Parts: sequence; C-alpha cells; structure tokens
Amino acid sequence: MPNDAPPQPIHSAKDALAALADILGGGFPGSSAAADDPAAALLNDPDVASAVTRRLRGSGSGAGSDSLCRWLYEAFRSNVPELQLAVLRFVPTLAGVYMCRAVTRKALAGFEAVLLALYAHAAAQHGAGEAETVSLPNLANPSPYHDAKVPPKAKPAELDVAVLSPPLEPHGTVRATRRARIVGAVLELYHCKIAHMPLSSKMDFCEFCVAWVGTHSKLDGTDKPRLPPAPDAAGAEKWRRVQLPWELFQPAVRIVAHCLLGPTRSDELKEQAARAAECLYWRATETMEARAVLASRSLVRLSQMVEEPIPEPSFSGAIENMAELEAMRANILSTKN
Amino acid sequence: MAAEWDSGSEAGPTGDWPPAAAASPVNGKAAPPESDAGASASGSSEAKVDDGNIQEAESSLREGLSLNYEEARALLGRLEYQRGNVEAALRVFDGIDLQAAIQRFQPSLSEKTLSKRSNKLRSDSSNSGSQHAASLVLEAIYLKSMSLQKLGKAMEAAKQCKSVLDAVESIFQCGIPGVMVEQKLQETVSKSVELLPELWKQAGAYQEALTSYRRALLSQWNLDDECCTRIQKRFAVFLLYGGVEVAPPSLASQTEGSFVPRNNLEEAILLLMILLKKFFLGKTHWDPSVMEHLTFALSLCGQTSILAKHLEEVLPGIYPRTRRWYSLALCYFAASHNEAAINLLRKCLNKNESPNDLMALLLAAKICSSNYLLSSEGVEYAKRAVKDAESSDGHLKSVALHFLGSCLAKKSKVVSSDHQRSLLQTEALKSLNEAISLDRHNPELIFDLGIEYAEQRNMHAALKCAKEFIDATGGSVSKGWRLLSLVLSAQQRYSEAEVVTDAALDETAKWEQGTLLRIKAKLKVAQSLPMEAVESYRTLLALVQAQRKAYGSAKNGTEDDENKVSEFEVWQGLANLYSSLSYWRDAEICLQKAKALKTYSATTLHAEGNIHEVQEKIQDALAAYFNALSTEVEHVPSKVSVGALLSKQGPKFLPVARCFLSDALRLEPTNRMAWFHLGKVHKHDGRLADAADCFQAASMLEDSDPVESFRSL
Repeated sequence: MPNDAPPQPIHSAKDALAALADILGGGFPGSSAAADDPAAALLNDPDVASAVTRRLRGSGSGAGSDSLCRWLYEAFRSNVPELQLAVLRFVPTLAGVYMCRAVTRKALAGFEAVLLALYAHAAAQHGAGEAETVSLPNLANPSPYHDAKVPPKAKPAELDVAVLSPPLEPHGTVRATRRARIVGAVLELYHCKIAHMPLSSKMDFCEFCVAWVGTHSKLDGTDKPRLPPAPDAAGAEKWRRVQLPWELFQPAVRIVAHCLLGPTRSDELKEQAARAAECLYWRATETMEARAVLASRSLVRLSQMVEEPIPEPSFSGAIENMAELEAMRANILSTKN
Repeated sequence: MAAEWDSGSEAGPTGDWPPAAAASPVNGKAAPPESDAGASASGSSEAKVDDGNIQEAESSLREGLSLNYEEARALLGRLEYQRGNVEAALRVFDGIDLQAAIQRFQPSLSEKTLSKRSNKLRSDSSNSGSQHAASLVLEAIYLKSMSLQKLGKAMEAAKQCKSVLDAVESIFQCGIPGVMVEQKLQETVSKSVELLPELWKQAGAYQEALTSYRRALLSQWNLDDECCTRIQKRFAVFLLYGGVEVAPPSLASQTEGSFVPRNNLEEAILLLMILLKKFFLGKTHWDPSVMEHLTFALSLCGQTSILAKHLEEVLPGIYPRTRRWYSLALCYFAASHNEAAINLLRKCLNKNESPNDLMALLLAAKICSSNYLLSSEGVEYAKRAVKDAESSDGHLKSVALHFLGSCLAKKSKVVSSDHQRSLLQTEALKSLNEAISLDRHNPELIFDLGIEYAEQRNMHAALKCAKEFIDATGGSVSKGWRLLSLVLSAQQRYSEAEVVTDAALDETAKWEQGTLLRIKAKLKVAQSLPMEAVESYRTLLALVQAQRKAYGSAKNGTEDDENKVSEFEVWQGLANLYSSLSYWRDAEICLQKAKALKTYSATTLHAEGNIHEVQEKIQDALAAYFNALSTEVEHVPSKVSVGALLSKQGPKFLPVARCFLSDALRLEPTNRMAWFHLGKVHKHDGRLADAADCFQAASMLEDSDPVESFRSL
C-alpha cells in the first residue's frame, strides 16, 4: 500500500489506539477510559467510531495516501483478533463509501487495499477454491430434531447441496467487474462476526444499503435518506446508486435480515432495517430477479409481523386456590391479631 | 414436614392443590365476603409484606398451613407476583434455598420414579405430595426468574431459570415421565424451558442461548406440541439471523443415515421444514412467518425449486390461490423453469382470477421477454402492466415499460412482414425511452436501449448508450464493455474497439476474459491481422482448457455460463480464420477438433460446406449445408450459402435461391451477404431496379456490421 509516512507495524490494541489518535489528531474525548481496554474502545467507543466514520465519509478519503486506510490495513494485518473485529466494525462505512464512489472511477487505492486485505482473509477462511455449501435436509431422513420412519436397510434419501457462496479466487487488485464480488465477500466476513458488532455499525450499513439502492422516486418524497452529509465537503456528497448483482445483494440482504430479525433489541435499528429491506425489495422488482424478489419480499413481510411474546406465567389453574390462600392468610392474620 | 405432606396426600389422593384440609374447595367462592370483614387485617398484612416484614407473614403461614420454610415463601412470593408487586415478590423469593429444597425432594422422588418403573400401579398417589412441594418451590424460582427479567436483570434471571432446569434434571434423572407428573409441575418446567433461551438472548449470552435451545429440544422435557413448536421456531429464527458462530449439534446418539446439520443455516432450514410438516399433520396452528423464514433461507442459497415443493404442500385455504401461483412462479423462474412459471402465471392472470395483478403481470412480461415465441404474449402482459401501473408510482410503470420494450423488440425479430417489423421496432424504442424518462438511474434500461439501437443499426445512438452504461456502472459490468466494443467495430473503428477491449480485459479477472478475448480475436481478423488473431485464439484456447480442467470434474452450477466461451467455439473460430486464409488443411484439423466436441452442429457443418465449396465440390458442399439446416432449421448462414451456391448453378435454380435468401433475410434482416446474393439473383433474372436496391442495402449494412452479433450479448 503506497504511503509516504514510515510504516508503523501494529502489534497490539494499545499501539493501534495510539496510532489512531495520532492520525485523527488529538486524543478522543473519553480516551482515559479507553486506555484500560483499548480493543474494546476501538470496537465500541462511540466517540472513536464517529471520528473514524466521519473521516471515512469525508471527501478525499480512501486515496492511496490516506493514513486512516493505512491504519485500518495495518490493524487488520496485525492478526490480533480483537483488532480485526475493530476493523470489521468499519466495514459498512468503508464498503458503503467505496461502492458509491467507485462508480465515478476515482482512484481509491486506500479503500481498495483495506478491502483486499479483508477479502484475502475471507478467501483463506473459505479454503482455496472451496465454495461455501449448504446441504438441504430431507425429512425422509431422521435428524436430531425429528424421527422418520426409515425402512431398515434403506439408503438415506439423497440430499440437495446448494452453493451459498461460490469459491473466492485470489485477487491482487480490484478489477471493476469483480468489485461487487470482492465487496460481497467482505460483507460475508462482516456477517460472520455481526454478533460482535456494535449497533451503530449496523445502523451505518442499513443507511448505506438505502443509498446503494438509490430510490429516486416515491420513497424519496416521503422520507429523505438520513445519511449525514460529508462534513467538510462543499455540498453534501451524493451517495450514488450502486449496481447490486446477486453476489452483492445476497450478503447485503443477509445483514439487513440480521438487523431486522436478529436478537438485538433496538427499535431504532429495526426501523432502519425495515426500511432497507423495503428498498431492497423495491430494487429487486426493477429487474424482477426472482431470488432477490423472494428473499427481500419475505423480509418485508416479516418486518410487518408481530413477534410472539414469551408466555407469561399462568395462574389460571390456581384461581380458586388464590381465593383460598387469601382466606387462609386473612384467617391466620386475624387470629393472630 | 415432608412426612406431613405425604400423609396429607394419602388422605386426598387426587393431588389437587391445595391438599391441606384447612380450606375445602367449597369455600373458595365464599371466601371473599368473609375476608371483607377482615379487610383491614389483610390490608395490614400486605403492608407488612411491603415493609419487609416477610418473616412474620411467612411464619404465620407456616404455622397455619403446616408448610415448611421454602414452601411458605414460595406461596407468598407467588401472591406478590400475581399482584404485580415484582420487587416484593423478589424479596420473598430471595430467601428460598433451592439447593436445600432439591436435596430434600431428590431421594424420595427419584426412588419412587425408579420403583414406579417396575410397578406402575402404585404410581400417582404415593409421590404426589413431594411433587407438590417440589412443584411449589420450582415454580417460585421460575417466578423469581420472571421477576428479575421484568426488572431488566436478564443475566440473573437466566441463571435462576437455568437452576430450575438443573433441579428438574437432577430430580428426574431419567427424564420427565409423561403420565406421572402433576400438571402444575409440568407447566413450570415447560415455561422455564421456553423462557431460558430468551433470557440468555436478552442478556447477550448467545452461546448459552444456543445451548439452552438445543437442551430444550433434545432433552426429554415432555413438552406439548405448541410449546415445542414455539421453541423450534424461535430457535430457527435465532440460527438464521443471530449471526452467532456455533458448533453443530453433537453426533451422539445418532442413528446411521440421519441428517446432522453442519451449520446454522442447515439447522435452521431443518427446523423450519419440521415446523411446516407439523402443521401439515395438524399438530400445530398455521404460522405464516414460518413459510417466510423458509423462503428467505432457501432463496439465499438459490434452492427455490425445493421451496416450490414446500409451497405446493401448503394446504388449501391458507394462501389465496393466485398468491400461491405467483409465489410458485417466482420460485420456478428463479430455478430457470420458465415454462412452469409462465403456465402458473397464465392461470393467475386469467380473466376469472386476478387479471390485473401488477406483480404477476410484470413477472410474466419479464419471462416472455427472454423468449421469441412468447414475445407476443409478453407484449400483452406488459401493456396491461403499464395500464395498471398508471395509478401507482412511476417506478413500477417504468419497469413495465422496460419489459414492454424488450418484448416488442423480441417480437419484431419474428414477425413476417417488414412493415410490422418496423412498426414494432419504433414502438420498442418509444417504450424504452419512455421508461428512461421515468427512471433515469437504471443502467439496465440504458443498456437495453443501446442494444435496440444497435440492432436497428443506429450506431450513433447505440454508442451513446453504451458509453452512458459504462459510466453508470463504473465499468463493472462486462456486457457494457462488449457492447461498446461491438458498436465501435460496427462503425469500422477497429482500433478503438481494440482499445476498449483491452481496457475491459484490464477490468476483468483472468478467469472471465473468455468473451472479450473472442471479440479481440475477431477484431484482429476484421483488421486482416491473421497472425495476431491466431495469437488471441491461442490465449483463449489456453484459458478455456484451463477452465475445463478446473471445473470439468466437479460441475459447478454457480458459474454463470454467460461469460464463458466453449472450446468448441474456439476451434470453430480458428477453422473460419484458416479457411479465409485458404489454409485448408489447418482449417480441417480445427473442424475435426470442433466436431469431436460437438457432433451435430450447424456451424461446423456450415464451415465444412464452405471448404467443400471453395474446393469446388458442389454436391458435398450442398449436402453439408442441408445437413446444417436439418440440425438447425433456422440457421441463417447456411440458408445464405445455399442461396448463393444455387444462384450460380444456372437460371433454373434462381427461384429456389431467391427463396432461401428471402427466408434468411426474414430471420435476419441485417445480413448483408443475404442482401448481396439476393441482389445477384435479381440481376440474373433481369430485375435491375430490385438488384440495385439489394446491393444498396448490402453496402449500407457493410458499414455497420459488428464483428459479432449483438444477440451474443
């Protein structure tokens, strides 16, 4: 990665935090607390997060000489799992800004270096040339959760194997036609760790998802995209509509699904995710690509359904007992008095 | 104390709560007026509880009802909980020592459980007493957990809830015996089993949540169907969207041939399928969300034909049939079973069903737009969709107009008369332009418009569209590059076309360069640079062969074939190149190679015919052309060659030649060789004006002939 600053390898979360403070200029507010657990601060501290995302969204970010990109790159390459999580935390903003700007074919070597490092990591996890597959259950075979009457000596029924994510070929540069695949794989990586990601990171993703879809008609009128404009740009940077082939659409819809139906209990996130799901459906109808229509339509429908509450303890069987108990209690107490 | 309970239950073996004779069930309804008299007294007792004088209340309870310490607290706490005094309840429950209580119940219960296994007759009466006690205390802990949860202390709540289940497990070491358990105890157990994973989830302890889900479903809790269904559904949702990395369930106690899920998605799909099956067997009520979750999961992995099977199994009356047909059509279309999809949509859009269903109309139009034979039908659907979308937002109207344009363009290729064709072509352009005016940001529209312009040989407009498409997509879509390159080649700007192709090659990973290399080779041929063309073909061949080796063994369905060149095509291209250079031997070798890969191919047979023709073996040439036509009835190059060949065989063959050439032109109006030879036929027949027209057409077309048909995009 090109950079004129002398490379400072990052070995620990503490290094990373110090380096980041340098890059952003001045300590963060609340950095004293951060000193105790730098990794957690990098992942969860809202001040750190907003400072970094502001820089990433700012105009001129992502160039080859962007020191913040360099930091992300080094931090991820340090192989410290906590630091890698902290880098993944910024994937939504990174991918979001990158995809919107890449359409204009600006040089974004800084972003690309980080994305390629993440992609290489994803490819290594996948295994060389291995697709991520899913064997679909056949209920004719028994499973831990159900019994099936299998005639003795019968062969188990054949399983269908589906490809969830095709093999990841190594890429040393981002070629335009593979851009969606590379970013898609990075989003898959993010999705793997999504349970560790803070709320604001997921919010960022949902916002960019809406921007990628590029709703320029009806939805615009009622509800403007809520992306905060890039602060130091003269006018607000307009996040551009992005091509959403299945290889990008699929991981995006999975992340949105997590935000919508996952165990987080934030109404704000759910609301934002529901909007993103609606936008994705809107976009899917544009080409009527059936897979995308089916997946996003289900999400929209699920977002409108009410979750079943956990049953309350029932005292129904004990109502008359209640009265007796009361009587007893009153009895006891009155005799005492 | 326990002994007292036992004796009490001997007296009243029914096991109803409360067993003590102190208050007979008959008094139940008479109680309130009585207590009215002592209202102030009971009021003061509540005040006492609130003040924390629990111990006094408890001791009075203990004396009055002969309960032990835990049981008395349990009762009091329950009362408080029921009244909504969660905090007070918690304070009461806090005094219960669960471990001590368990130890008291354990021996008596487990012994009896064991003895009961041998002697079922003794069952109910003997242990119901200690079951009552156990039930009371366990319920108390369960309520304690609920109270904690209500106070927002999910982690503590989960720990309490877990202790209930641990206690149950240690009391009933052989699982909960179905018939012998008192109803109240079973209810507490079921509720706790269901509650625990939710508490872990709220506490953010996802691994524990997962373990407790599995524990709920894989251990013997004697849960009823509805409860089990709810747990399975929540577990499936958690697996599907939780984003938690987990180890698959263990293989222990699995019979051979059973399906053991390897990851979250598989486990979730399994559970959802089980849930659906349960419903079909009438064991649970219908829950629409289950089908939506399954739809989401299966479309993610592209297995929509399996989804279709599940949709078909849904009992009638759940979905309106037109909704079901539409969903099924989506499934089949996603699985490329277009025929099945369009048949379902025809039923759906029948005038007696829902003929104006906009989404179904759009899907039908889309499916038809990819098939010449259906294009006419597609035009109808699209027109109806445009009309329908009038009232809704511009987005869907633009989509409808887009599909209308595509269907019209397709239809224009198969109509028989020139007049109709030009009408349709104009209409197609009009729809596409109108669609763009409604949605300026959709690159697909721009691309389709570009193709239509190119097909109509309006290269200037086509070029503009191609450039615009590349700008809008940032060059990320290969077909955009190819369109630009072909349009440039049609304008005879070969070197520029090559620059574009090279730029596209730069933006394309090695593996997907096939089609671009093919264009490059053809550009070289067009520039009469045979050696460089051979070089390009050689690169292409190496790529294709490497791909075959990589994917040949394991057929990989996910690779999109659209960007792939077959080895056959390469040999065919080389054969054409060599025969144009009159290297007959080389050409024949290449043809042999091509034939070995694809025995009956019109293209190969046509090329063979060409070679025969040049070597003046007229009969062989004709035979080869006819063979080509019998493998592919509408093979235009063969028709042109037959026409050309026959036109040279003397005046009596001229009408036949004219037939073949006209036929070729009907199929491909922009085939300049056909126009040229038709012109010659007219000239031989003495129709000079017609001949001049044909030659003019041919010469005009020569200026706009791309190196490769636009249809290959």
